[in-house]
Amino acid sequence: MKAFPTQEIGSLPKFSWRTKPFRGVPLVDADVKTARDWGERFRVPGTGDLLNLLSKRDGFSEEEKHRLVEFSLLYAIKMEERAGSGEGVGLDLVWSGEQARTEMYETPVSGIGGFEFIGSVRSFDNKYWKMASIRAPPAYKGNYHLDEFLFTKKHAVRRVKVPVTDAITIMAWSDNSYYGRKWARKDMPPLERSFSARREFTLELAKTIRRVIRGLIENGAEEVQMDIPAATQYQTVEDIELVSEAFNETTKGLLATFSVHSCFPPSVGYGLLFPQLLEMKCRRFSFEYANRDSLKTGLDGESREGFKDLKLFKEYGYEGELGVGVVHVHTDVLPEVAVVRDRILYSAKVTELPPERLYINPDCGLRTRSPEVAIKCLDLVVDGAALARKEVCA
Amino acid sequence: MTEFLLALSGVHARSEATIRVTQDWERRRVDSRTLAKSFREDCESLLALQKRVGVDHFSDGQMGLPWQDFLRPITDGFGGLRKGPLVRWFNTNTFYYVPIVDGDLTSEGRALWRSVERTLVRRGSPFKVIVPDPLTFCELAEDRHYGNFDKLLFVYAEALNTELRFLEGRGVGYVQLSSPSLTARFRKEPISRDALIQLGEALRSALRGVSLRSGFHTYFGDASSYLPFIFDAIPTQDIGFDFTQTDPSSLSKTGKGLIAGIVDSRSTWAEDVGKLRREVEEIADKTGSPSIILAPSSDLRYIPRASADEKLGKLGRVKKELRGGAD
Repeated sequence: MKAFPTQEIGSLPKFSWRTKPFRGVPLVDADVKTARDWGERFRVPGTGDLLNLLSKRDGFSEEEKHRLVEFSLLYAIKMEERAGSGEGVGLDLVWSGEQARTEMYETPVSGIGGFEFIGSVRSFDNKYWKMASIRAPPAYKGNYHLDEFLFTKKHAVRRVKVPVTDAITIMAWSDNSYYGRKWARKDMPPLERSFSARREFTLELAKTIRRVIRGLIENGAEEVQMDIPAATQYQTVEDIELVSEAFNETTKGLLATFSVHSCFPPSVGYGLLFPQLLEMKCRRFSFEYANRDSLKTGLDGESREGFKDLKLFKEYGYEGELGVGVVHVHTDVLPEVAVVRDRILYSAKVTELPPERLYINPDCGLRTRSPEVAIKCLDLVVDGAALARKEVCA
Repeated sequence: MTEFLLALSGVHARSEATIRVTQDWERRRVDSRTLAKSFREDCESLLALQKRVGVDHFSDGQMGLPWQDFLRPITDGFGGLRKGPLVRWFNTNTFYYVPIVDGDLTSEGRALWRSVERTLVRRGSPFKVIVPDPLTFCELAEDRHYGNFDKLLFVYAEALNTELRFLEGRGVGYVQLSSPSLTARFRKEPISRDALIQLGEALRSALRGVSLRSGFHTYFGDASSYLPFIFDAIPTQDIGFDFTQTDPSSLSKTGKGLIAGIVDSRSTWAEDVGKLRREVEEIADKTGSPSIILAPSSDLRYIPRASADEKLGKLGRVKKELRGGAD
């Protein structure tokens, strides 16, 4: 087994030649040049075909737009497989960077019955999500990730995973109109009533998501990453238990490797998830840490302040795999590769896990960065892991 | 006899049009003048709605860039602070940058004034500004300078005092000190009675020499463990509760005004006006409070603008019914 295997953890930015045709905006020379430059840089098969397609510049048919999405899946796969400064380094565990999805909430919600989009809500700064309201019990409409997965599996050389947004997150980011109204009729204390509404909504969603995952596994998916950014949103003991319960209900009896990704907890950190988190029957927990860390090199606790929560895994006797976020994704100010190396080495030190069980990844999805910054982040992951590998193997 | 008033209690949702402009601005498709115009129009539209539904203390909705998060005007405008990591804002899917205290915390008095839509001040009703209370600021900030929570509490209160004096001089009529940290304790115990007294003292410092009307609003949690003592400990004229979390039966008689967060700002579910009116009447009977400011339970930024405006409209109808149908 390789020490410090690497993985992408979420989205990659979309190129302008991928987004403009969907907005009805004609392409300009710079868009086509981007396709050519990045295609050559990452030796993307079929770049010539893409350039021919893009020469149309405007008025793309639905079939042509579909091909553009497939090309952007391909670009993402090859960016991941060829990231890093050494020839052919690449990430070990890849996928297609959310290129076929609007984003991690809107796509699944569009594919599940019972939801109605009601408008945009601000997450932070000028970042928003399109909120949907649940108006009827969730219903399976089809496998909203299958085509994307089949394409990725066919074109990736490296090991493939498929990220799936979990029930807690869809519940937490939605307007709980149906279950809120249902439980409002019960004569109960307000807090108990709102938790009951959340729980029923979550567990109903879990049944639908389970069906989607089962379909992916039947079509060859071997590794599924459950995306649970909302794991730290509702912070009562009951809610944390529900995070684990929903995960286990979604995945029970399904034959695949399951991992969990979460990020950006409140100021108290990941401690609020323990010990209930460890009830999840999953192979790997991948969390964000670099966001809170310093840009200094060093293996001491002060230099590595962002990684202090990792000790929780040691304290609770965890012996499984971890994914460690070593590059902050909401800034263009990037660390030196030596800092990334030290973040990795420090993670190994405090968790006392064998290096083969520590996956290295960006903190979260890179969709808010430019392609130039995103690939630098992936390079840092690959190159930082290579440096750390040298240290532990020396 | 209770007087019934109406006001927003937090950050309002941006309109879909403004959202599109902010996204275009980030992608450099529009310039800063277009962005500023969009925010101004959004504020004017919100002001028009507030007038229409009978709001008594106007707010600009804190929708502009200075309020990218609720702590940002402080983080960007006070001395001794810098922007730290991005973390979750309580139990919501919204986030803020942690203010890191790495020097003497100071204010020149204009940080909040620079953050309000000044064209809306002196437009017929008292203008309301909503700021983080000392407890919330100090619990959410990362102190690398003072190393003493109480010291930071009072230093922040002093800086706030400088700001509030300046706001009062510019015609602001109401300040709400928002304290989600008091009630959103999650796995932490409620703060002790001594700590609440200490917070009250810090608020006295913040309000020293300031005569504008003040409120202290708690939300995202159940405030019943602080009742009735909170009425004595906290020196603001009005004390606020999130009644989607706090059972009104835990209230008792008080001579203070109340901010009654009766509509759920976290759900688009449209509450029944008659039911809300009865709930407020029961609160009035139970407390004998001289004034009750009807309000959303917290910020209305957690739901889309159309739903947020609808909630405010609903509160307007409740106020009208409580006043016997008179505008």
